[in-house]
Amino acid sequence: MAVNVQGMKTWSKLAKNKRRPSEYEIVTTNLQTRNRHRDQAYELSPAPDLAMNEWYRKNVFDSPLQHEDWEEFRDPDQLIYRVYTRTQDVQESYVDGLLDDHNEIDHDAGLKPEWLDVLEHLYTPRRYLQTALQMGAAYLLQIVPASTLTAAAGFQEGDEFRWLQRIAYRTRELQTAHPERGFAIKERERWEKHEALQGLRELMELMLATYDWGEAFTALNLVAKPAADETMRELGSTARHYDDHLLAALVDNQMRDCDRSRRWSTALVEFCAGHGDNKSVIQGWIDKWMPLAEKAIITYCAALPESEGVADTAIERLHAYHRSLSISA
Amino acid sequence: MALLKMEEWYDLARETNWTPSYASEEELYPETMSEDFGIPLNVWETFDEPYKVSYRDYVRAQRDKDVAAYSVKAALARAEFFKNASPHWKALLALHFSAVCWAEFHSASCFGRMTRFGRAPGMRNMATFGTLDEIRHGQIQIYFAYEFLKHDAVFDWCHKSSKTENWIIISLRHALDDIAHTRDGTTAGVMLNMGLEQSFTNLQFVALSADAAKCGDHSFATMLQSIQTDEARHAQIGEPLVRILCENGRKKEAQQMVDISFWRMWKQFSALSGIGMDYYTPLEHRENSLKEFMEEWVIGQFGRTVEAMGLALPWYWDYLKHDIATFHHAQQIGVYVYRATQWWRPIASVSPAEREWLEEKYPGWNDTFGKCWDVVTENIRNGHYDKTVPAPPPLICNMCHLEVSGVAGGEWQPVDYHVDLDGRRYHFCCEPCKWIFELEPARYKGHRSIIDRAFDGTIGPELDDFLNYMGQSEPERGVCGYDYQWIDGYDTPVAAE
Repeated sequence: MAVNVQGMKTWSKLAKNKRRPSEYEIVTTNLQTRNRHRDQAYELSPAPDLAMNEWYRKNVFDSPLQHEDWEEFRDPDQLIYRVYTRTQDVQESYVDGLLDDHNEIDHDAGLKPEWLDVLEHLYTPRRYLQTALQMGAAYLLQIVPASTLTAAAGFQEGDEFRWLQRIAYRTRELQTAHPERGFAIKERERWEKHEALQGLRELMELMLATYDWGEAFTALNLVAKPAADETMRELGSTARHYDDHLLAALVDNQMRDCDRSRRWSTALVEFCAGHGDNKSVIQGWIDKWMPLAEKAIITYCAALPESEGVADTAIERLHAYHRSLSISA
Repeated sequence: MALLKMEEWYDLARETNWTPSYASEEELYPETMSEDFGIPLNVWETFDEPYKVSYRDYVRAQRDKDVAAYSVKAALARAEFFKNASPHWKALLALHFSAVCWAEFHSASCFGRMTRFGRAPGMRNMATFGTLDEIRHGQIQIYFAYEFLKHDAVFDWCHKSSKTENWIIISLRHALDDIAHTRDGTTAGVMLNMGLEQSFTNLQFVALSADAAKCGDHSFATMLQSIQTDEARHAQIGEPLVRILCENGRKKEAQQMVDISFWRMWKQFSALSGIGMDYYTPLEHRENSLKEFMEEWVIGQFGRTVEAMGLALPWYWDYLKHDIATFHHAQQIGVYVYRATQWWRPIASVSPAEREWLEEKYPGWNDTFGKCWDVVTENIRNGHYDKTVPAPPPLICNMCHLEVSGVAGGEWQPVDYHVDLDGRRYHFCCEPCKWIFELEPARYKGHRSIIDRAFDGTIGPELDDFLNYMGQSEPERGVCGYDYQWIDGYDTPVAAE
């Protein structure tokens, strides 16, 4: 057995880096095949013969958002699966504790009627909103041109589903405590028709129908999701004034996930902002989507009790987020 | 009063379809990505996943699984095992990890397709776990592979291979892109889950895990089993989809999805797992052959699953029964003789004792495939190493992108399967591969196999050009894993060079 066997210090593709690669880089980079040939992202007939190759060429290779090597993108959290499940298991244990404790003290029975109105109209229908966010993240992860982006969007999708299920859970609890109300029955109708939710629904539907990957990322992660999350933050903050400490605490916890989405989104903007026209491309998309987002925030927040100034605060936070991005002058 | 049970709220989390009005159905579910097969939405909404899990329970269970798989003790045992592992086992590990790490990670995107463009809320949710699972499977396997890199550079291909033009990678990419990545959300759901996960992952993970345990690689075995528990869960997306299609007048389409995807995956598993099980697993640890595994797990178990869903067995089922005893033997010869085109160190695995095992498991092996090995063996015994490498390139199938082969020796009955289209001749290894091409020629006709590329000038004329094109620098070209010393088992010693 004279075969000469030699080892290597790290993956050849990471060898040029000065720093020793982290576990995240070792297990998350270069694991995708589609970002190779402009006409042939997938190993079948090139565009236009194969519709999916045409789709990828149009929406990724020919996107106004350009970078010579998307594989170089890194999630600032360096989140990997085994850390994701560990972290979220801890968070879910905390949420279980919250739910258990509040159930124990019969929390829902003590909620005021005017607050229950708010929950019925503005909280429990949000499981549809979470579905839209789940679907939006699912589009991103399947279209993005690097595996590090797929991972970040994949964990984001998991988060959206997390809160979809938690809202469903709370919906059932509220129904049990207040069977005479519309909990668990009227959410779909309200999502489709209640005035306060139509801005968000419009924003979500139009975001979902956006397929250029750069614009889809901008529409979802820089505008629609942060806008939706800001309305959630306001709902949570109003909850405190109506002694719904459970919802307030749940929202606080949800915001941890939202912050993570913003961190990787910010990093992606920073990663590509210096290249070509990317700054103005992203800014252009933000400008295009912000009127819808502002409308969504205004209509939602207007339905909150004691809502004076609330929408302005939420919109200002969204602007502040945009100012924090490296496209900002 | 305490926490609600999952079944008390679960259904609400899958009542999540709404009627859009700001964007049209067509805008939200474009044809390329989404296909409802004319089945009304309220029918898709009846999708009922057999295995239900909440996000809360998912993250807990997955965390626990990973704590076991990533333990430091396991890592030390793995390193020790690898140092003492035979070239057989190293070849198996290199082949396995170079193919599966990116393939699994990439599947996260297929589940993303199902989540975004499928119509059933239950499927949307299950596919979300599917996406997370596949990220896990890519990451945990490449983590394992990385531990071996410091001992052996061939493991660099576990990371590098995804974007290379190596012929084996092209073959795998072509198959996976066909069934999982270029189909609408529903079709991808049926094809990936029925054609790959329900049918074959058992083969790769359960069978390989059993072999690994026997070889003393317990942490590899545990990791593979742990992956298979995820596969078994998310693979269940396929069945309810097939039922909905069958019950709503789309049985023909469902049948075709299963028939295409199963065949495409069979060819991949035949070559990769078949060689792994019957040749690369050290003899003393081999029990079942690929054929026996296939008969039990696939022909038996998967066949029954297919029929229980109301589908027929694929039309090529009888041909498959023949193929499970032949195709991978022919591929093994090709992989060994064209070894420079592999990034790992191929194993011949035809010492006298190994031939005995092959003959026992595949009666007639010596008179067929064994005849080719006789020639290779003789050449090595006479020191004619150069004669063990054929000069002409092989003919590659324009569907599975593996070598066109047959049964060697007395049973050699070459059949020329081809299609002429738009002035080009496409070659196939078998009737099912040709059948798939003819169903949708536009999907496939523009693709060029590695050999097409050699002849159309994409690749330069020299062997070096070919290997460099495939991403293989000189040290990355496969050599015999035993430096021909497997020949020592024969009565005549190796002739001096």
